[in-house]
Amino acid sequence: MNCEQIGELLPDYLQGRLSPALAGEVEKHLPGCPACGEEAALWKNLALLPEEQPSPALESRFKAMLDSYQEGRWEKANLAAEKSKTPAPLWGLGNWRQIPAAALVWACLFLVCGFLIGRQSDRGPTAELKQQLADMQGELAATRQTVALTMLQQQSTASQRLAGVSWTTRLPEPDAKVMSQLFHTLSFDSSVDVRLAALDALSHYAGRPEIRSGLVNALESQQSPLVQVALIDLLVDLHDKSAVPQFRKFQQDPKINPTVKKRVDWGIQQLQ
Amino acid sequence: MANSLSDEELMSQVRSGVGEMLGVLFERYHVPLFNFFLKLTGDRAMSEDLVQDVFFRILKYRHSYRTDTAFRAWMYQIARNARLDHLRKRRPETSWEPEMSPAVAPVDTAQQGQEAVLLHHALMRISEDKREVLVLSRFQDLKYEEIAQLLGCEVGTVKTRVHRALQELRQVFHQLQSGKPFSGKGPQGAWPTPGSIQ
Repeated sequence: MNCEQIGELLPDYLQGRLSPALAGEVEKHLPGCPACGEEAALWKNLALLPEEQPSPALESRFKAMLDSYQEGRWEKANLAAEKSKTPAPLWGLGNWRQIPAAALVWACLFLVCGFLIGRQSDRGPTAELKQQLADMQGELAATRQTVALTMLQQQSTASQRLAGVSWTTRLPEPDAKVMSQLFHTLSFDSSVDVRLAALDALSHYAGRPEIRSGLVNALESQQSPLVQVALIDLLVDLHDKSAVPQFRKFQQDPKINPTVKKRVDWGIQQLQ
Repeated sequence: MANSLSDEELMSQVRSGVGEMLGVLFERYHVPLFNFFLKLTGDRAMSEDLVQDVFFRILKYRHSYRTDTAFRAWMYQIARNARLDHLRKRRPETSWEPEMSPAVAPVDTAQQGQEAVLLHHALMRISEDKREVLVLSRFQDLKYEEIAQLLGCEVGTVKTRVHRALQELRQVFHQLQSGKPFSGKGPQGAWPTPGSIQ
């Protein structure tokens, strides 16, 4: 048999699905033919590539999705929203019991709810009650801010800092301190993942002019090409024309990564 | 108990609303699916997102599962669609060297380890349709008939593609071995040396 004929048989041979007679023909051919022999060897050697394990986050994300389905929230909630959920909110939810500060806030929340339910059952809502509720909500928000800041500043592992970043997205109105810490994380965190998460968190507030200009300026101090690209993409998505001068300056940087250069060229094109 | 049920029985239960059975299917298939996506894309984070998306779609489209069809084939169909949708939404020219260098299983000799690294790089550089049939047939243990059904083509076409894939893999592997930069059709863009990204 020639190589062409063997080539036709090879795929079945490799999956062990040839009759003994045909398999014998292939085996006779292989040792004497470098090309076919190497192809068969490559197939065999693909087994050297290991089976990789996903991170534990995958399982917690799946469980969270399944839980929300089981609780019947799916039928009501719109499916698209569920789907577009990034892992961010789940970092916190999945392991909130393990973060003392987070647990504290949850405890406050439960306490407030329990208190209110108790009050509600006695009599209808009064102005006093409403005031108390507002106060407690205010306190809760302040506690959350503190927790977010502490987590961002003091956590030593990247996953803890990631959890910190995701906390900030749950603050209704993060204050300037939180924002400036997020910008600091974006520029200087040792982990690119944490930087990207910080960018994602900041993007929620891109409507504010000061955040917008902060993002434009962040390009200059950014060292990671991946974060640079993410920043460029975000500014393009925001149709922020004020980013163009910064883009041009960046384009001229002699140290720019070639892939990032292409992206910034594209960004300028999009914004003009 | 649930562990002794077939995939199809489990999926039928999911279809009729017993959501927890999806947990068993997840246990069975999340690692193979993750490896399917990872070997196609080289991107761990994206692969995890895609696995999550597959199980999301299984729930969402559970009513369209026909109890007489093989669950695995149906699942891989969903997996392919999830990836195609993802590709469609992707930005132009985002072809990065996978950030993590390929993890290599503990092997006996340094040479074997080296070979696995080269093979991984070679696999990532052959054209995508060829890589897909190799991944499906070699790593996901799908039969050619199943792949044909999945891709909507003849069994013969799948076999030809497997053979062509091996031919291309061999070529790229040789080029990598001799240290020449590959100029074929694989992912475009710069392939920086390890460490230059970050």
